[in-house]
Amino acid sequence: METILLFAPLVGAILCGFGYKYIGEKAAMWTATGMLFLSAFLSWISFVTFDGVTQHIEVLRWIESGSLSTSWGIRLDRLTTIMLIVITTVSSLVHLYSFGYMDKDPQWKEGESYKPRFFAYLSFFTFAMLMLVTSDNLVQMFFGWEGVGVASYLLIGFYYRKPTANAAAIKAFVVNRVGDFGFALGIFGLFFLTDSINFNDVFAAAPKLAETQLTFLWTEWNAANLLAFLLFVGAMGKSAQLFLHTWLPDAMEGPTPVSALIHAATMVTAGVFLVCRMSPLMEFAPEAMAFVTVVGASTAFFAATVGLVQTDIKRVIAYSTCSQLGYMFVAAGVGMYSAAMFHLLTHAFFKALLFLGAGSVINAMHHEQEMTEYGGLRKKIPFTYWSMMIGTLAITGVGIPLTHIGFAGFLSKDAIIESAYAGGSGYGFWLLVVAAAMTSFYSWRLMFLTFFGKARGDKHTHDHAHESPITMLIPLGVLSVGAVLAGMLWYGSFFGHADQVGKFYGIPVAEASAHGETSDHGEDAGHGEPAADDGHGEATAEGEHHYVFAGKPGEGGLYFGKDNTVLDDAHAAPVWVKVSPFIAMLGGLLMAIWFYIINPSLPGRLATAQKPLYLFFKNKWYFDELYNVIFVKPALAIGRFLWKRGDGGTIDGFLNGVAMGVVPFFTRLAGRAQTGFIFTYAFWMVLGIAALVTWMSIGGGAH
Amino acid sequence: MEEMLREYLPILVFLAVAVGLGIVLILAAVVLAVRNPDPEKVSAYECGFNAFDDARMKFDVRFYLVSILFIIFDLEIAFLFPWAVGFKDISMTGFWSMMVFLGVLTIGFAYEWKKGALEWE
Amino acid sequence: MIQADLNVILPELILAVYAMIALLLAVYSTKDKMGPLLVWSTAGLMALLALWIAGSGSGNNVAFGGMFVDDGFSRFAKVTILLSAAAVLVMGQDYMARRGMLQFEYPLLVSLSVVGMMMMVSAGDLMSLYMGLELQSLALYVVASMRRDSVKSTEAGLKYFVLGALSSGLLLYGASLVYGFAGTTKFEGIIQVAQHGEVSVGLLFGIVFLISGMAFKVSAVPFHMWTPDVYEGAPTPVTAFFATAPKMAAMGLFARVMHDAFGNAVSDWSQIIALLSVASMFLGAVAAIGQTNIKRLMAYSSIAHMGFALMGLAAGTVFGVQAMLIYMAIYVTMNVGTFAFILMMEKDGKPVTDIASLNLYSRREPGKALAMLVLLFSLSGVPPMLGFFGKFYVLRAAYDAGLAWLAIAGVVASVIGAFYYLRIVYYMYFGEEGDELDRNSSPVLWGFLMASAAVMVLGIINMFGVEGAAAAAAATLVN
Repeated sequence: METILLFAPLVGAILCGFGYKYIGEKAAMWTATGMLFLSAFLSWISFVTFDGVTQHIEVLRWIESGSLSTSWGIRLDRLTTIMLIVITTVSSLVHLYSFGYMDKDPQWKEGESYKPRFFAYLSFFTFAMLMLVTSDNLVQMFFGWEGVGVASYLLIGFYYRKPTANAAAIKAFVVNRVGDFGFALGIFGLFFLTDSINFNDVFAAAPKLAETQLTFLWTEWNAANLLAFLLFVGAMGKSAQLFLHTWLPDAMEGPTPVSALIHAATMVTAGVFLVCRMSPLMEFAPEAMAFVTVVGASTAFFAATVGLVQTDIKRVIAYSTCSQLGYMFVAAGVGMYSAAMFHLLTHAFFKALLFLGAGSVINAMHHEQEMTEYGGLRKKIPFTYWSMMIGTLAITGVGIPLTHIGFAGFLSKDAIIESAYAGGSGYGFWLLVVAAAMTSFYSWRLMFLTFFGKARGDKHTHDHAHESPITMLIPLGVLSVGAVLAGMLWYGSFFGHADQVGKFYGIPVAEASAHGETSDHGEDAGHGEPAADDGHGEATAEGEHHYVFAGKPGEGGLYFGKDNTVLDDAHAAPVWVKVSPFIAMLGGLLMAIWFYIINPSLPGRLATAQKPLYLFFKNKWYFDELYNVIFVKPALAIGRFLWKRGDGGTIDGFLNGVAMGVVPFFTRLAGRAQTGFIFTYAFWMVLGIAALVTWMSIGGGAH
Repeated sequence: MEEMLREYLPILVFLAVAVGLGIVLILAAVVLAVRNPDPEKVSAYECGFNAFDDARMKFDVRFYLVSILFIIFDLEIAFLFPWAVGFKDISMTGFWSMMVFLGVLTIGFAYEWKKGALEWE
Repeated sequence: MIQADLNVILPELILAVYAMIALLLAVYSTKDKMGPLLVWSTAGLMALLALWIAGSGSGNNVAFGGMFVDDGFSRFAKVTILLSAAAVLVMGQDYMARRGMLQFEYPLLVSLSVVGMMMMVSAGDLMSLYMGLELQSLALYVVASMRRDSVKSTEAGLKYFVLGALSSGLLLYGASLVYGFAGTTKFEGIIQVAQHGEVSVGLLFGIVFLISGMAFKVSAVPFHMWTPDVYEGAPTPVTAFFATAPKMAAMGLFARVMHDAFGNAVSDWSQIIALLSVASMFLGAVAAIGQTNIKRLMAYSSIAHMGFALMGLAAGTVFGVQAMLIYMAIYVTMNVGTFAFILMMEKDGKPVTDIASLNLYSRREPGKALAMLVLLFSLSGVPPMLGFFGKFYVLRAAYDAGLAWLAIAGVVASVIGAFYYLRIVYYMYFGEEGDELDRNSSPVLWGFLMASAAVMVLGIINMFGVEGAAAAAAATLVN
C-alpha cells in the first residue's frame, strides 16, 4: 500500500505531463488529481491504522559499492505517516484548487497548453516530497531533497515569460544549494564515521558519535555536534531560516497554489522534518540544538517584523510562514520535536488555507495582489472571507487559555512557547512571545485591510469581484475544518503525557518512580526491540504515574534523550507562561483594530514618523542588498573575469594564436621554400643528405 | 700505404704545375694588360655591320635526339663487347639472353623509325 | 634452371612482352584508334595478372640466383600495384581522349612502368633493385610530360627527370658503398654483414644514401620538392597514377631493402626513417594549408601520408610492416576515389583545379559531394572511415616499438592537416555562390568514386581481408 501511495503521484505526473497530447488536457488534469486523491486516501488509512511499529519496506536494490550497500526502501514510522497525510492532503486539495485558479490565466496566450504542465509539476513535486519523507537512508532523502528543489524551481518559474519569475526561481535554487551543501557535508561526515547511510545504522551509532572527534577545516570538532550542525544548515536552506531565507518571499512569483503547497505546507517543512528525523543524532548534540533554537527564534522574530509592513498579500503570508517555521525550529531545538511536528501539522492546514484563500481573493480581484487596492471585500466574497477568518483565528492562536479547546494554532503554538520556556531558552521564549504578538497584528491587519473598510482600489475591479468557482471553494472548506479541529483532535498524541506521545510515536516509555529514578515496568525498554505497544504499566495505581521516554536512538519515530524532560517541564510551566501567548495574541488583535478599523490614518502617520525603522522593515532588514554586495557582485565579477580573460583570452587566444598565427606562418614559409627552381630543389636534397649523414656519423649506430 | 702514395707523387707535382701555370697566365693578363674599353671595341664582330639580333639560337632538340639515340646504341654495343669476349664459355642461355636484349632494342629501333625520329627535318 | 626462373617471373614477363608487341602493332597501324583499345586491353591484362598473382602464388620463390624474390610480401604489393594501375588507366581514358592525349604510347608506358614496379618490390639484389627503379622512373618521366603543348606538363616532366636522375645517382652511390663494405650486392649476403653493432661507417653512409634515393621516390621530406610541381603540371590521370601505384611500389621497395638487407641492424636505420616520417607529416600538413590548386594539395597530402606510412616502417617490427602495408592499401584506394572526383571537375569542357570552384557543390551534385566528403574524412583520418584505421595501425606500430614521440607527432600533424581536407568539405557544403562546375556524368568515374567511398565506409567491418593478407605478407618479409 505504501508503495502505491508513493508512486501514484509519479505516475500521475508522467501521464499528465507527457500524455496530455493524447488524452486531452482535462483528462490529464483529472488523472493527476485522481492519483493524488488516491494517495491521500491511502495515507489517511496508513495514518489511522499505524500501530507504532517502524516498518521497512524495500522497493529495490540500489547501491552496492564497496562497503556501501543500500536499497531503496520506505521507512514507515509515525513521523512518516504524519508527513504523508500532510503532504498528500494538501497536495490533493491544491490540485483540485488549481482547476479553478489556473483557468484562463492571463500570462498565457490563447491556445497555449500550460495546465497539464502545471499539474505534472505539482504531482512530480509531491512524489519527490513523498520520497523525502519515506526515505530509509540519507542519500534517498537527499534525492527527495533535491527533487523538491527542482520542482520548486520549475514551479516558481512557471510563468517563464516573466523575468522576475525566472530570477526568483534561480534565486530559490541557488540559496537552497548553499543549504544543500551543508547537508551533503553532513551526509559525508556521517558516512565517513559510521560507514553507512542507513538511518538504522546512523541512529544506532549516534551515542558513539557524541564521543568522537572529527577534524574539519582547521580544527577538531565533536562529531555529533558538527554533523548535526551541518544537517541543520541544509534545513536552514530548505526551510528559509535566517540568512538563507531570502528566496522565500521572491518565491511568491509562482502561482498561488504553488505557494500554498510548497512554500507553506510541504517543502519548507522538509527542514523541520529533517531535524526531527535526525532527532537521535540531535539529542547528542547540545550545542547544535542551541544553535537551532537561536536561529529559529531569530527567524521568527525577524520575519514577523518584516511582515508587519508588507503590502503584497502573498508576501505577508510568506513572511508569516517564515516566522512560523522559526517556531517549529525553536521547538525542535529545545528537544520538543513532537511539538514541532504538531505545529507542522496544524500550520500546514491553516497556512495552506490562508494561501488558498488569498488566491481566491486575488482571483476575485482580477489578479491584483496589493492590499492597498483591496478593502471591504467581505460582502463580495463571503465564503472566502469566512475561510480566511478561520485561518486567521487559527494562526493567531485563539482559544481558551489553560484548556485544550481552541483553534489549531492556539494549541500548537502554545505548546511550543511552553516548551521554549521549559527548555530553558529565555532568548527563545521571549522572542517567540513577541513574535506571537506581531503575528496576531499582521494577520489581523491583513484581514482588516482586505475585507473591511472602504474599497480602495479600481472601481471596475471591485464591481466585478465575485466568489471563486466550486473547485476552489471545496479545498477552502476542507482546510477550514482541519484548521479548527486539528489541534484539539491530536493534542494528546503530540503534546500530551509521555505515555500518550510514546504510544503515538512508538517510543517505549518507562515509568519513573516517585523518587525520580526510572524503573522498568512491564517490558524492558533496554532490549532494543522495535517498540511494541507500551504503556501497559499504568494498571491500577491511583497516584499519577510519571512516564519518561526510554527508547534507544532509532526506535520509534522520534528519540528523546535521557535528560530530555522538556515535555514534563512544559506541562509543569507556571501559569503566566501558559497564558502569555494568549495575552500576546490579544494585544496584537487590539492594536490591529485600533490601527486599521478605528484610526486608519495612524499607520501612515506612524510610518512617516518612524521612517528609518519603517524602511528597515519594509526592505527586509536589507538582507538582499547585503547579499548582493557580498556574494552576488563578486561572483559575477569572477565569472566575468574568467569568461573574458580566462576563456576568451587564454584558451581561445591560445587556440586562435596557434591556428591563425603559428601554423599559417609555417605554411607561408613552406610556400616560399617551394621556389620552382630546380637547383633549389636539388640543393635541399643535398642539404638533407648532408644533415642525415652528419647525424648518422655523430649520433648513429656506427662504431 | 706510403709506398702506394709515393707512386702518385708525380701526378701531384704535375697538378700543381698545371694549376700554377694556368693561374699565372690568367693573372698576368689581369695585372699587366692595358685596359681602355670603348663601345666600338667591346661590341661583337659581325662581318662589318652591326649585330642586329641575338647570337644565340634556341637549342634545336634534334641534336639532343640524335645524341640520345647514339647513346642508346652505343651502350648496346658496349654490352656486346664483354659478351663477345666471353662467348665461348657461356652456354646457349647466354646466347639467347643477348638475343633477347638485342630483340628488345630492335623493337625500340623499329618504333623510333616508324615514328619518324630519324628524319632530320 | 632457366625454366624455373622464367616461371617465377612469368607475370612480369607477360606484361613486358605484351607491351612490346602492342607497341609494334600500334606503331604499324593507324595510331588513334589503337589508343582506347590499348587502354582497355592493358587494364584488363593487369587486372587478370593481379587476380592470378593473388590466387595462385604461394611460398617463397627465388629466381636468377637470388636476384628476384617472389614471396607473400611481393605478391601483396604487386596485386595492389596492378589493380590501382588498371583503375587509373580506365579512369583517365575519357579525360585523355577528350584532350587528344590518348596516344597509344600512354597505356604502354604505364604498363612498362608497372613492370618496373613489380621488379622493384621483388628485388633481391641491389642491381635488380636499381633496374626496376629505373624502368619505373623513366616511363614515368615520359608520361609526366604527356601533354606536349603544355608548358607546365613539360616542366613537370623535366623537373621529375632531373631530380630523379640526381636521386638515382645518390642511390647508386649508396649502393656502391654498400657493395664495397659488404662484398656482395645480394641482400642475403648484405644482411650477414650488416649486423647490429658491427655496422661500419662506410656501410652506414651507404645506407643513408640508399635511403635518400628511395625517399625521393616516396617523396619524403627533404626529398619531396619535386612532388607539388610534378603533380600540378602532369595531366590529371597521370597525377592519379603518380599518387597511387609508384608510391606503393616505392614503399614496398623501401621495406624490402630495409628488412631484407639490413634487417639485423634495425636500430641503426629506424631513427633516420623516423626523422623522415616526422618531417614529411608536418610539412605535408602545414604546407597544404595554403594551397588552392587541388592537385598541388593532393601532392602535399601524399607527402603527409607517406610520412605516416614511413612511421610504420620506422617501427622496424613485423607489425610495423603490416601496418605500413595496410596503410598503403587504404591510401591507394582513397586516392583512386579522390582522383576520380578530381577528374570530374571541369567547366565548359576545360578541366578546373581550383578548390574554390567547388563552392556549394553539394547543391548541384549531392551524391558526389557526399562521396567526396567520405573520402576527405577518410584522408584526414576521421573515424569511422577506413583512413582512420590505417592511421591507427601505424600509430600503434610506432607506439609498440617504443617510438611514442613519433606517434604523438603524427597525431599532432594529423590534426593540423585535417584543416585542408575539411576546408574542401566546407566549400562543398557551405561555401559562397560562385561559378559552377559542369555536370559530369561519366559512369566510369562515378563508379570509381562511389566504390572508393563505399569501401571507406564498409571497410571498417573487416577490411575485406586485407588485414590478414598484410599480416601474412609482413611475416614473410621480416623474420
